[in-house]
Amino acid sequence: MSYLVELRPVRRWIRRTRASHRERGETLGTAYTVVFCIGVTIAIFNEPLAAVFTPLVPHLTGVGALAAAVVCAALLFLGLRRLGPVTVSRPASYFLLTAPVSRRRLLAPSLHAVAAGAGLSAAAITFAVLGHALAAGSAVLVVTGALVGVLLTLLASAAQRRPHLATATDAVARVALALGLATLVAEVTGWTPPEFGATPATSVVLPLTGALAVLVTAAYLAGVRDIARTPNAEVLESAKTAGTLADTAYSMEPSFLSDMLERRYWARRRLRSTTLHRRLPPLTAQDLLLARRRTPRLLWTAASTALPLLLTAAPPWLLALTLVLGSSLAARATTATVKTDATNPVLLRLLGLDSRQAVRQRFWIPLALATTWSTVALALLQTSGALPPGQWWLLGAALGPIGAISALRAARSGMARNDLIPIDTPMGSLPTGPLLHAFSGIDMLILAVPTVIQLSQGWPAAYDMILFQLVLAVAGTQAYLTFTTDPTRLNLSPR
Amino acid sequence: MVEHSAVEVENLYVSYGSTPVLVNVGLTVPAGAGVCVTGDNGIGKSTLLRCVSSLQQPDSGAIRVFGAEPGDSPAFWATVATTVEPPTWYLGLTVREHAELVCRAHGQDPEDAGIDEALERLGLGAHADAIPPSLSSGQKQRLTLALVLLRPSSLLILDEPEQRLDPDGRAMVAGMLAEYLSTGGSLLLASHDDKFAVASGAEIVTMEQLSGGEDR
Repeated sequence: MSYLVELRPVRRWIRRTRASHRERGETLGTAYTVVFCIGVTIAIFNEPLAAVFTPLVPHLTGVGALAAAVVCAALLFLGLRRLGPVTVSRPASYFLLTAPVSRRRLLAPSLHAVAAGAGLSAAAITFAVLGHALAAGSAVLVVTGALVGVLLTLLASAAQRRPHLATATDAVARVALALGLATLVAEVTGWTPPEFGATPATSVVLPLTGALAVLVTAAYLAGVRDIARTPNAEVLESAKTAGTLADTAYSMEPSFLSDMLERRYWARRRLRSTTLHRRLPPLTAQDLLLARRRTPRLLWTAASTALPLLLTAAPPWLLALTLVLGSSLAARATTATVKTDATNPVLLRLLGLDSRQAVRQRFWIPLALATTWSTVALALLQTSGALPPGQWWLLGAALGPIGAISALRAARSGMARNDLIPIDTPMGSLPTGPLLHAFSGIDMLILAVPTVIQLSQGWPAAYDMILFQLVLAVAGTQAYLTFTTDPTRLNLSPR
Repeated sequence: MVEHSAVEVENLYVSYGSTPVLVNVGLTVPAGAGVCVTGDNGIGKSTLLRCVSSLQQPDSGAIRVFGAEPGDSPAFWATVATTVEPPTWYLGLTVREHAELVCRAHGQDPEDAGIDEALERLGLGAHADAIPPSLSSGQKQRLTLALVLLRPSSLLILDEPEQRLDPDGRAMVAGMLAEYLSTGGSLLLASHDDKFAVASGAEIVTMEQLSGGEDR
């Protein structure tokens, strides 16, 4: 017996019922908030945005532009794969995925929305890359970029239905990302890429774009036809991802997303029990084991030491901030354990360790990672001649501890507090809790101000300055480890 | 030297809003003895255990654990092990590694602590390489019990440890708790299973007996 319920009236009823529970003007209020946020972002980041999309002097060669486009496409594809892209809302995954409704009609709207978003993003990326390479944008090439964005969505959607295709496409995207970045770095460090010749004429690009449009249309129709074959498990997982993304945005709590990704990563791994390193303190040994188990992440972290080289043409303050933030990000490889203990100290109670013991034992691996990252990144910059004279790599020993305590502080802040009084402004209220939470950890980077000033001003790295920065970093780290912990207290959350 | 009881509770009063849950509750668990609190759902067994574990602040009354006020200090948690709270797990560590970490944090040699034996006895031997979030609820319960039994402690506070265990598992856990008592440990648990409580060597007391100032 085949019995299919019409989906459209059900959706209309859900929309109407939900709207009836909303207060008058609530939708308008949400729209105002979104427009306000976009406006503020554009106003604050006006200059960097202009520099990204319409640089005054194009500096990318043909190969560089291609590499930048490949990097952006790989990132877009990997993002689409993480998102689903075929998904439904969390309530719909519970009530409608199991209902006798047309799966194609249920799932197709998400594909339309994601394809539109990916197309627009790809068009913006193409516009920016062209701006860096040609000095003048080409409308046809921007359309080509948008079509590639839609094609990537369809490929991600097909991969969602076929595990083997998913493995292959993910691997290709990661390799493309690595090769693209390597090409960009090589170009910055002096490699002269082969010339592409003249910019392709519109008479050549136009028919190619037309052919691509036909291909994308055919693939789109086939994709929508096959969308019903997306396995339930995949749809449920992507529904959870979409829901978690919405939670993260609504509560301004990025840990919801990072926690979900972390759980998924470990759920897919097949582990073999091993012995914790005997000579290290137990929590340090645990962090070392976890770091060793995330070899791909360590490799990406190692490769990222070359990324500051891409900013040698950017304003010096941006390079300085990237170096300081980079050391903190490198240190975060193992701080998920700190977050676990800070959010719920049940395991710390079981372990019977006080906050000082726990934080000191958890400090060493982030310190090693951050120090190595900073030292290598500074050495690469120094070797490439991007920095003023001096032994800049020595500052890695100072930026390492600062990055480590910044990562620890961010992890110890636990969840964003929503019980704090918001700040009222003439244009709306600012939520204090999420704002403070966002800066928790980043505030420790103030200890790196001497390095930032030195780099921003283009002054050479004198030994007295390096020594001063080192003393400041060690003193600040020691103060943090001593004054925010207590041997008579178990809770990790700083008081 | 004064020998303190493991747990002493006097005139304990706890309410949720306007609803009183514990009224004038008194309880004594002598050192080296076991007490099992029984009673219907919602009568306040878990609330009592949470107060003794210092995880909940009572409205009034006095609680002493080995003569001292319970608190969130490392010294308290070195003495007391509990399963009152729902567990969390370190992502990326296996079942066996969690057990080893707990032993190492308490200064025990993992080889001598009998990790494999404890996991085997609790039916987790085949799951030693699994990550705890992938276990069933019954297996997680067994793992929590294995961890609190592996580490050294003077007082175990367990909230319905027989829950989600099959009959063989219940008998096994009851036997391990009886062993714990025989080595001088003290035990306070809440349970719905009188047979389990008797097998673990704990004396059964109802919440009605504890309320109204009628100390056991």
